[in-house]
Amino acid sequence: MAGLYGAAAALRLALFTFFPALPDLLTSRVEVSTPVTSFKRLQEGLFLYNHNVSPYDGGVYHQAPLLLPLFSLLPDASAYPFFTYLLYILVDIATADALYKIAESGEAAASKLFTSARKDRRWGGYVVAAIFLFNPFTIATCLGRPTNVFTTCAILHAVAKAISGNPLTSMLALSFASYLSMYPVLLLPPLILLAYDRQNPANRITSLAQFTGITLLTIAASLSTLFTASWLLTGSWEFFASTYGIQLTLNDLTPNVGLWWYFFIEMFDSFRSFFLGVFWLHLSSYVGGLSIRIRSQPLAAITILLGIFSIFKPYPSIADISLSLAVVPLYRHVFPLMRYTFFAASTILYSAFLGPAFYYLWIYAGSGNANFFYAITLVWSLGQSLLVSDLTFAVLRDEWEVERPEMVGKEIRQI
Amino acid sequence: MPNVQSFNAQRARSYLLRLPLFTRVMIAVMIAFGLVGLQGAWNIQEWGALIPRELSLTTSMCSLLAGHPFSLHTHAHTHSYCMGICLCSDLADQIRPALRLVYRVNTFPLIHKSLLHAIFNILALTPLLERFETEFGTLTSLALFFGPLTTIPALVYVFFDRFVLGANHAVLGASLWVFLLLGMEGVRTYKTNPYLVIGTYHVPTWTTPLFMAVVVQALVPGTSFVGHLCGVGTGYLCMQHPSFHVPEQTLIRNLTVGLGYLKFLAPPEWILREIESRLNLLGRLPHYVSIDQKTYGRFGVLPTSASSSSSTPMTDELSHDKSAMPRLLATVLTLRRDPRLLKLPPYLSLLCIVVGVAWLLLLPLDDYSRRTYISENALLPGQVHTYFGGSDQNVFRAYRHEVDALKDKTNLEINRELENIFKGLGFKVGRQNYTYYSAGNTYAGENAYAILQAPRGDATEAIVLVSAWKNVKGEFNRNGVALTLTLARYFKRWSLWSKDIILVVPPDSRAAIQAWVDAYHDAHDPSTVAALPIKSGLLQGAVAIDYPHEGRFEGVHIVYDGVNGQLPNLDLINSVNNIANGQIGMHSFIQERLGHSDKYNDRLKTMLRGMMKQGLGHAVGPHSSFIPYHVDAITLQPVGNGWHDEMGLGRLIEGTFRSLNNLLEHLHQSFFFYLLIHKDRFVSIGTYLPSAMLIAVNFTIMAILMWVKSGAGGISGSTELSTIENTNVMDGKKEAATVKPLVSAAAERELYLPLGIVIACHFLGALPLFIFNHAPSHLLAPFFLVFSILNIFFPSLILKMVNSASARPLTLQQIYLLKSFSLLLLGMFLSSLATLNFSLAFLVGLISTPLSFTSPWPENPAVRFSYTGLLQMVSPTAALLAGAVAYSSSYGSNGTGLLDTLAHILSEAAFGWDVWGLYIPLIVWCVWWPAWLVGSIVVLGQPKATAKVKSA
Repeated sequence: MAGLYGAAAALRLALFTFFPALPDLLTSRVEVSTPVTSFKRLQEGLFLYNHNVSPYDGGVYHQAPLLLPLFSLLPDASAYPFFTYLLYILVDIATADALYKIAESGEAAASKLFTSARKDRRWGGYVVAAIFLFNPFTIATCLGRPTNVFTTCAILHAVAKAISGNPLTSMLALSFASYLSMYPVLLLPPLILLAYDRQNPANRITSLAQFTGITLLTIAASLSTLFTASWLLTGSWEFFASTYGIQLTLNDLTPNVGLWWYFFIEMFDSFRSFFLGVFWLHLSSYVGGLSIRIRSQPLAAITILLGIFSIFKPYPSIADISLSLAVVPLYRHVFPLMRYTFFAASTILYSAFLGPAFYYLWIYAGSGNANFFYAITLVWSLGQSLLVSDLTFAVLRDEWEVERPEMVGKEIRQI
Repeated sequence: MPNVQSFNAQRARSYLLRLPLFTRVMIAVMIAFGLVGLQGAWNIQEWGALIPRELSLTTSMCSLLAGHPFSLHTHAHTHSYCMGICLCSDLADQIRPALRLVYRVNTFPLIHKSLLHAIFNILALTPLLERFETEFGTLTSLALFFGPLTTIPALVYVFFDRFVLGANHAVLGASLWVFLLLGMEGVRTYKTNPYLVIGTYHVPTWTTPLFMAVVVQALVPGTSFVGHLCGVGTGYLCMQHPSFHVPEQTLIRNLTVGLGYLKFLAPPEWILREIESRLNLLGRLPHYVSIDQKTYGRFGVLPTSASSSSSTPMTDELSHDKSAMPRLLATVLTLRRDPRLLKLPPYLSLLCIVVGVAWLLLLPLDDYSRRTYISENALLPGQVHTYFGGSDQNVFRAYRHEVDALKDKTNLEINRELENIFKGLGFKVGRQNYTYYSAGNTYAGENAYAILQAPRGDATEAIVLVSAWKNVKGEFNRNGVALTLTLARYFKRWSLWSKDIILVVPPDSRAAIQAWVDAYHDAHDPSTVAALPIKSGLLQGAVAIDYPHEGRFEGVHIVYDGVNGQLPNLDLINSVNNIANGQIGMHSFIQERLGHSDKYNDRLKTMLRGMMKQGLGHAVGPHSSFIPYHVDAITLQPVGNGWHDEMGLGRLIEGTFRSLNNLLEHLHQSFFFYLLIHKDRFVSIGTYLPSAMLIAVNFTIMAILMWVKSGAGGISGSTELSTIENTNVMDGKKEAATVKPLVSAAAERELYLPLGIVIACHFLGALPLFIFNHAPSHLLAPFFLVFSILNIFFPSLILKMVNSASARPLTLQQIYLLKSFSLLLLGMFLSSLATLNFSLAFLVGLISTPLSFTSPWPENPAVRFSYTGLLQMVSPTAALLAGAVAYSSSYGSNGTGLLDTLAHILSEAAFGWDVWGLYIPLIVWCVWWPAWLVGSIVVLGQPKATAKVKSA
């Protein structure tokens, strides 16, 4: 493992060192940085914070307040970028480590309530971690230094802890993720189920209701601690409106790879609040259904949800797809059941190249317009949703084949 | 039952034709009643509905005994033909009303509220009733549906509605039958497949009809929920078999289990059989279904799940009858499995290439190109009187003397003098140093420029007039610089400028102007290029004068290609054309075609030359460097021998500047993507882009085909894999895993090795990219020759390395995957590139087309080697060499050899990469070359031969 992590760190360091313009280039790309994660905006907030001005003045900084003391402890990012690089590299490796533990646990193929017939055909933690670490999207994210790498890290640690039988630590990690980015709170139901299934047999709580109560209390306590700390730090509750409020109301319509910005640019103001409700409801509606339907495999529900979030959340970026692609290899055993991998992969690949080209035509060459880029983000989302739906199909089919062994290998239709 | 996905007109027709008798009659009767209901005279609904108040709670006999008085309706006295029960009309008056009304419990399913209601119910009922009838026989169905199966739910309903709910809701329609049959089906499904599992919850399947009743109630207004429930309930009861009566023989189990309590309701079988044989119903009635379905039935065995049993005869019919009906979706679905389909894509791919090329050749025709037009109204080209001339000619001669005096001075001396002149005219002057390093050469110098501040502007916008001391060919731009100075003096006198005018005199046309434009937009590298001391506003346009030509000239050559193939707005070119032709009376030319006949031949040559320039993407004039910054720019070159003098060119520039001065916003109206085929004809992007896209699509098609082929189990060869497994049985635990029979139809693909090779090849492209951009210029040509020779052996070298490194040689499947990934990437890069630089994408795509049709050809070495030869001819290095030969033969007749030309081209590419930001080297080495490399590996890789060698 040390070799793998070393290689990943060396690759990143080499990219940072030999292509010094690359980090700044990626930081300013809309595909990498969104208004709620941008490293540039973090610098702005940091500057205000260090000059004893509320970081939320000026409406540029929309990230969690506790990131500020962390980054102001580091030496100035423009003068000594090395320390920032080091921090992001370490976060990536910590994420990979969590992923390694998840993969090694084998939870994906054999959960408490369900054991796949194909559970032997899986990848070890080494491979899964390597796929994450050497995924170009992950590397670009690391170089672009958006702050949602911390969220990614926290989410995967929450899952890893839940699997290893530490529900409280897991909830603590999830509340960190939720504190940083808000949307991870939607992962709570499947995560509670996962933690419930994987409790330590020694001090196991048999009642699901009781278990849920305790975990919810943990979450509430840790979140309120974080909020109080933020309040002490910034001196007001203003950060709620500037961080979570922005995500809820989508006030910043900077283009990104998601589906919201264009829609809300075109929207008449009178319909805005209605459609904001609809979009958020849509995003959260998957949680309940998936948690119930794939009750026996909570990790699968989390995986599918992460994919859905990276498509439908208000400010998605390639950091989100790198997270959702990180957990997909855990389902190596159902890959033979997937039907559109080639199509989905080529769609994602094509749009990953056409997207920057069209953005260039729109913003720099001036010969295209916003529709070019939006069309490509639609294709991008199509590719991702194909992947997610195909994975869902494969997981369900795998489950079904265990129930109906006589149907193994037969063609079925999805209706 | 047919489901939606397999819907097919032929099947549907055949299904309708095979409907059994009772079902047909019922449908006909329902439709007939529906049609009768359309007329207004006889209210058939009122007549036939099941109205609880009109019935007593018990049967007719009870009501007869009780002598219950009925409230009668005035009509419908004489119509007493109930179908189930035979009535005599001359019964006692007392019992008459009671009996007359009993018919309602049997007629109500046949009568509907409206024709639409009837149609929907028929649609729902037909498949269910058909199943019932084919299972139990026509006679039984008749007896049951005009007996217990209708009366029982009807009476239950009446009971509930009247006495439990205390209401009086009339019901109509066959939906009760539908739900009754659904109830039966539900119970039957429950027997075979008891639970529907959602999460951890087991939902019994017999509840489905109940859900459907709820859904129907919610969706369709005015339905009777209680009535439907009665139907479902009866259905359940009928199907509940007495527990002691379950025979184990599976063949007849369905019948007995299916009947359940129904057995007690149905008339005794022997009676029905008697009737059937007496009347010879089977012989007389068409579509009659016998009671002894299992002996006389078509299927021999009773249909338990319709989808499997009914599809078998259907496919037979399909294959027998191929002519008649149009095949719809099902035909496509069957075609999907057709192995012939896999043969199609190569032809499709070839078709794409042919159409793509033909499309391009069609473009010069009148039908596919358009006349140019001025799109931006503010430009008003040629609408102002130009005053340049007269005594300005003397000024021009004086400045030419000044310029001549500076001819052999150094850059600094020249700039000092220019600064003096500009300052004397009242301009603000700036100077800027730059140093570029490329291919071991240093390009250093100093730009001089002057800004005329607009008398009527606020310094937010500017127009640039460039006249480099030397043009791109290195000629001394004597008249150009003199004309610029004259124009500067002339412009200064006018008070009408609303935009600043910047006059730039760079020492050369390649590096210097790039340094100036970079620094103007603050995009320069401060370590090599100095910042500009003074600046003006946003650049709205730039015109460069390239005028080394001595004496009078015929016309003006408009050069418009920008760096990386970007083009200026078409309005700018049109304006200059318009002013030159219309106002000055000067000819204008594009793409070095002086005597353009405006015929197909000339148009095609103009277009191809334009595409070549665009594809190479290097700077062709001082204006080229402006275009990447979205500043529309052109270079004007006086050419030919005619009667125009420098004053004419001056007036042309004056007119152009006056037009640009009019602009209210940046040029944006007209086209940025176009191919000019004549000075006033062009092809727009929508018309020409498909040709490049088709070429790119051909690669994608082949990539998809290769993916499909690699997944087809037979091709990767279970035989082949197993032979390999046999050879490697001792060390092959991995192989054993892959050979294991797989559950899904597609064979599992071994992705990693092909993917790794493709990615490695693309990264390998960085090597030549680095070498040819960093080697000193005198070594470039030798390096390139060495590389070209190595390049011939590169594919076999890589193949050898791969084969020795991996446990076993590449399988056929892996080779397919290799080709698939490589072509996928190529198609993707080219289609992205086509949006940025159409010509480059088209040219690279066209030369790479042989890569689509590569194949290992294991049994046919001759084809293999000839194809390898073909690939060698279209390799990037060979193409570059061929280009150098062509270039030296057409331009380098003055003694320059091939090596010099090659060195020139390569150093130009390196210069472009370092100074202009040219991305063509990247495309060549990291897109084209890797694709070629993988293509050659595909041809050379011999899966079977190497496998045999290994096993031997």
